[in-house]
Amino acid sequence: MALIECRELTKEYRRGENVIRPLQELDLEVEAGAFLALMGPSGSGKTTLLNLIAGIDQPTRGELIIDGEDVGKLSRSRLAAWRADYIGYVFQLYNLVPVLTAYENVELPLLLHPIKRRERHERVATALELVGLADRHDHYPRQLSGGQEQRVAIARAIVADPRIIVADEPTGDLDKPAAHAIMNLLTRLNQELGKTMIMVTHDAHTAEYAARTLHLDKGRLVESGAHIAAGAAMEAAS
Amino acid sequence: MRLLPLDYAVRNLGRSPLRLAMSVVGAMLVALLVLTASAFVRGMERSLIGSGSLDNVVLLGAGSEESIERSEIKASVASQAAASIHGIRSQLGQAYVSPEVHMALPVTGAPDTTTSNQVLIRGISAAAYLVHPQVRIVDGRAPRQGADEIMLGRLAHTRMGLTEDAASVGRSLYFEDRAWKIVGRFDAPGTVMNAEIWTPLNDLMVAARRDTISCVVLTLGDAEFADVDAFAKTRLDLELTALPEADYYGQLVAFYTPVRMMIWLTAGLIALCGLFGGLNTMYAAFVSRVREIGMLQSLGYSRRAIAISFAQESLIAAACGTLIAAVAGMMLLDGLAVRISMGAFGLRMDTTTLMLGLGAGLLLGLIGALPPTVRCLRMPIPAALKAA
Repeated sequence: MALIECRELTKEYRRGENVIRPLQELDLEVEAGAFLALMGPSGSGKTTLLNLIAGIDQPTRGELIIDGEDVGKLSRSRLAAWRADYIGYVFQLYNLVPVLTAYENVELPLLLHPIKRRERHERVATALELVGLADRHDHYPRQLSGGQEQRVAIARAIVADPRIIVADEPTGDLDKPAAHAIMNLLTRLNQELGKTMIMVTHDAHTAEYAARTLHLDKGRLVESGAHIAAGAAMEAAS
Repeated sequence: MRLLPLDYAVRNLGRSPLRLAMSVVGAMLVALLVLTASAFVRGMERSLIGSGSLDNVVLLGAGSEESIERSEIKASVASQAAASIHGIRSQLGQAYVSPEVHMALPVTGAPDTTTSNQVLIRGISAAAYLVHPQVRIVDGRAPRQGADEIMLGRLAHTRMGLTEDAASVGRSLYFEDRAWKIVGRFDAPGTVMNAEIWTPLNDLMVAARRDTISCVVLTLGDAEFADVDAFAKTRLDLELTALPEADYYGQLVAFYTPVRMMIWLTAGLIALCGLFGGLNTMYAAFVSRVREIGMLQSLGYSRRAIAISFAQESLIAAACGTLIAAVAGMMLLDGLAVRISMGAFGLRMDTTTLMLGLGAGLLLGLIGALPPTVRCLRMPIPAALKAA
């Protein structure tokens, strides 16, 4: 059974008299542990799909079933709790809280769970270790480079051990070496920790890290391609 | 519901020192304003209400119930009342019956000064100290009859617009075309008597060339007000009216109601301006963090948790300002003498005033945070994440 199932998933916005449909009757299944890249021109609906899967937006019609639960029908408060359990979000612009240290930023999602301070500390330390920033735990975002900030954001996304990690242009604001390091990290998380990864990108080279790429246009799925292996992209890039 | 750590709210305050300063100063000014208004109103009320003893009854001229200064009764009323009303308190044979003259006269600190302020001069006898037990001589001595001596209340110099030194024991004041030597200072805490000048009854009557007194104040022992009232009503020849002293000053409290209303209204309007200022500041603070709000929601924090964190942030800033205002109020305002037409009184920073000031400051913090928070949180998460 697929971890994520979209059935005739539709999202509509009303802007005056006009109805805008960034997503139209989309059907999709994503297996647990998959690494999926969403590509397409601006306005194609890829970020809308990502936001729906991340539970920060709700569909107008259709079903979005994740791990057997129709998240499109959850109330706002239940959806917030669901996000805390299921989703780790990696943003293009990192979105770290500037007044909190790297450690405290990573700790933020854990505060939503009934975890003892000691275990919290261990999990934050592990997450920072995993992204290679254990020695920068007391640094504030302004004291980190863009690549390091994104690694802290990734640590924040994985620290609560969510089943799905969504990434919106995770390398969009980084130079090539930093982007490569970030993609390697996301690939490792997918392969070693078995996290289901869904990533929006404009960059075909970045999409090659994913095992499967979906192309969207005008809210519809137009093409689906599978790469040989995500590891191949890692090797090719390096 | 899981809340954001308090640290988050505290550290967010440091994001913009200017904004923090504006929030703190805004709350401080509003709290200080409310503290001042409350201290003024409560100080005035306390001095008026405290001036009237529940056991005292005032006999004054019929038709002069609203102002003892306008009252004129025969000087013999005191001895007649003492003889006719049974149950007046007495001590060692001395009845608690105090004939008094109350006159508002222009008083100057120098003989050739043209500018003067009206001060209430009270002509008294020894019985005045019995019926007004609040009065305590704190410096010098009581004035002696026939020597043109006076004794000043603790706030009398404020009423006259003089420095404390210019009205100290040994100096002279001038009224009714003669010099009066200050021989004593008294304190009558929380009463209008603190702004008065006391002098022997006969000296004042001679100086003012009057043979009537203003009133007789007597303290009830076994007698009741009805006994005194009956005396006033049966002695038609004396044209008297009897008023409980507390009622007389109660009337003055009512007289000053419009003043108190104006003070509260002014304070309220200025506080409202402060609230709008606070709203603006907090809105600017929160709107610059819309993307962060979106991020926190995407992590799983509920809108309520974020709203509480923002309220904490605003409340902490407001609490800082309010506490500064409370300390400043205690140090600068408490007891500060204020001059009004009936005399002078000290601002009163009591528990109620402090609670009002603290409440106003904190309310400003809370209300100031709510609309900007609601506005920022109403934005859909995807839109918030795209915000600049």
